[in-house]
Amino acid sequence: MVKYIKTYPERCTGCRECEQVCSLFHWKVVNPYRAGIRIERKGVVEHFQYICSHGVNCSFECMEACKFGAIKKEKGIVFIDHNTCTGCGACTRACPNQAVWLFDGKAYKCDLCMEDGNPKCVEVCSQKALEVVE
Amino acid sequence: MSVMGKALFVDLSNKKTKEEKVEREIYRKFLAGDGLGAYYMNKLLDGKEDPFGPSNVLIVAPGLLVGSSIPTCGKTVFFAKSPLTEGWGEGVFGGSFGLALKQAGYDALIIRGKSREPSYLLIDDGSPEIKSAEHLWSKSTRETADILKKDEGKDFSIACIGLGGENLVRYAIIDCDDRQAGRGGLGAVMGSKKLKAIAVRGTKDIEVTDPEKVLRLTMEWYKKLVESQAYRDDTLYGTGEFLEWMNRERGTFPTRNWREGVFKERKEIDPYYWVPRYSIKNLACIQCVKPCGKAFVIKEGKYRDTKLDGVEYETLFALGGNCGNPSIEAVAKANELCDLYGLDTISTGGCIGFAMDLYENGILTKKDTGGIELKFGNSEAVVKLVELIAKREGIGDVLAEGVKRAAKIIGKGAERYAVHVRGMEPPAYDVRGIKGMALAFMTSPRGACHLRSGAYALELTGKFWKYEGVDRLSSKNKGKEIADMENFMAVYDCLGACKFSRSLFLLDGFSDILEAVIGERYTEDDLLKIGERICNLKHLFNLKCGWKKEDVKLPPKMRIPIPEGASKGSFVSEKEEKEMLLDYFKARGWEEDGKIPREKLEELGIAEFFDH
Repeated sequence: MVKYIKTYPERCTGCRECEQVCSLFHWKVVNPYRAGIRIERKGVVEHFQYICSHGVNCSFECMEACKFGAIKKEKGIVFIDHNTCTGCGACTRACPNQAVWLFDGKAYKCDLCMEDGNPKCVEVCSQKALEVVE
Repeated sequence: MSVMGKALFVDLSNKKTKEEKVEREIYRKFLAGDGLGAYYMNKLLDGKEDPFGPSNVLIVAPGLLVGSSIPTCGKTVFFAKSPLTEGWGEGVFGGSFGLALKQAGYDALIIRGKSREPSYLLIDDGSPEIKSAEHLWSKSTRETADILKKDEGKDFSIACIGLGGENLVRYAIIDCDDRQAGRGGLGAVMGSKKLKAIAVRGTKDIEVTDPEKVLRLTMEWYKKLVESQAYRDDTLYGTGEFLEWMNRERGTFPTRNWREGVFKERKEIDPYYWVPRYSIKNLACIQCVKPCGKAFVIKEGKYRDTKLDGVEYETLFALGGNCGNPSIEAVAKANELCDLYGLDTISTGGCIGFAMDLYENGILTKKDTGGIELKFGNSEAVVKLVELIAKREGIGDVLAEGVKRAAKIIGKGAERYAVHVRGMEPPAYDVRGIKGMALAFMTSPRGACHLRSGAYALELTGKFWKYEGVDRLSSKNKGKEIADMENFMAVYDCLGACKFSRSLFLLDGFSDILEAVIGERYTEDDLLKIGERICNLKHLFNLKCGWKKEDVKLPPKMRIPIPEGASKGSFVSEKEEKEMLLDYFKARGWEEDGKIPREKLEELGIAEFFDH
């Protein structure tokens, strides 16, 4: 079972294809703001990858911060229930890894593509800057 | 679907902006990107505009597949009347700007007029605003982008110019994410409008007709792309992978301002040498899984702290072989400076090589160069001249005009050493030994160019797409081949597809993709028709700008046989040149003087633009 997605910024090319496929898979549109992964370019050769570690590099601060129970955990996967999310932003402030963000009144983060268990971002990362850790 | 249905017009003179609907019919005829540019350029300009005057336009249009997730299809095109060729100008680049513009709601941004003071254009999800750029003027491209991201938000995408554009260097570029709209001086057009930068943030959804199918096709093409030979070459060694082959096997690597076709001192500039030593990882255009860019870092020595996305094949030629410069560190430093000042590396290297040739032939002296020993192989002089050109200081002021104009200013027979077609300095294909490309240099709407036809691969290997057994040393039957390839490639620029994927997608690869993305199926023939329509529109634009058959000619050096190597003895005669051009006009259905008959434009559904 997929535990989390490990990042290797020293391999990231900045193509941001991961953001596009993530959004397309989850929301049926392309919009990097809706993606559960975010790539940031710094200078000419550096990139930062922001994606949830599902408890590996944190203590589920987002869940604790959510007053509405909108962040849930099933089989080790932390995900947001958009029906319950109020967009208050407490989770984005609580996350130590800057891996949750707000867009259009809802919080967004990685859910490891739990619908089919096969993270799309990893599938299109030709440089292996993202890796599934089981 | 996958198009946003709107164009944004901005007039810098009166600071007015307006949105205009783009009708469905326009997309059908022109797709997006290159096609939309060709449409608007012809609609808005009559060709008599001064490239640096307020009536010239600067247009930017993302390819149709930008933001579709289809891999390697993230390219965007800038357009303007070129100050270098005084005709059709376009530059394709792979920065994030096109995606941001699309998400802001626009398939085209059209900028007219001229600002009185330095300014930048801010587009935040579709509310354009013209702001003062006094604090950005004279800043480098990277500094400009950093400041704007700090002031406006780090998720803004920035297209901007450097000192080169501000100083109207006729081959200044527009930069976005260290990716450049490189050719023809579009950055100088931006500079003439006193427009330092365009900052765009867009958060709108990009919709596709069949999301499941688009995702499936994305995964399928991902696999095809990463399993290809092109993937291995590009990701391991970048676009310069075949540099050694071009030297040894073909002898068509232009060297020392096109004196030779083999650069003997090429050891360091060969990516097989420098990638393992200087590249810390690969870099890519947006939406590309086949990264050909290299994160080039010099850690110590004279040029320590040099960092760039490169060095591209064309730059290895222009700032390397063409200047006889054997030092990869000097090439990389000069490349970085070109990026920071905002200069086209190909034209910059073309101009420096030209000046070195003049110096060695006694036409320029130390008096002219300000004491610089401007001999071929002087690596430090290459780096120094980039700075002089950007600042328009000393000899740099003359070279900033491009070789065609510089030769006129210098006189004393300098024209014989000026290598250009219609004012554009050519890329790294010694066409004396690649005759189809000699024709392509002449017929490209933006002057000597390898990418409008992309026929170099076909010519050099003998086969591509529906062509087989093509002989690069023969000038026969090149007209239809080049016209076909130009039509083919125009489709790529409409879609935003990378030309380094052309052997994989070809054209029929896009049938399924377009059906899933925009809900309409196009056959190869449909797409070629669109390509033909666009190529005709670009030529029509040139005709309006005063294009004459007499001006379309190869530089004098193409008459001198290649002195050694695999293409030894090959050259292009005047007779061959004329025959190829006529053959091309015939293949295009144009008249013998290169004009387009009205019937042709009617057949293509663009007779509304007829005016000659």
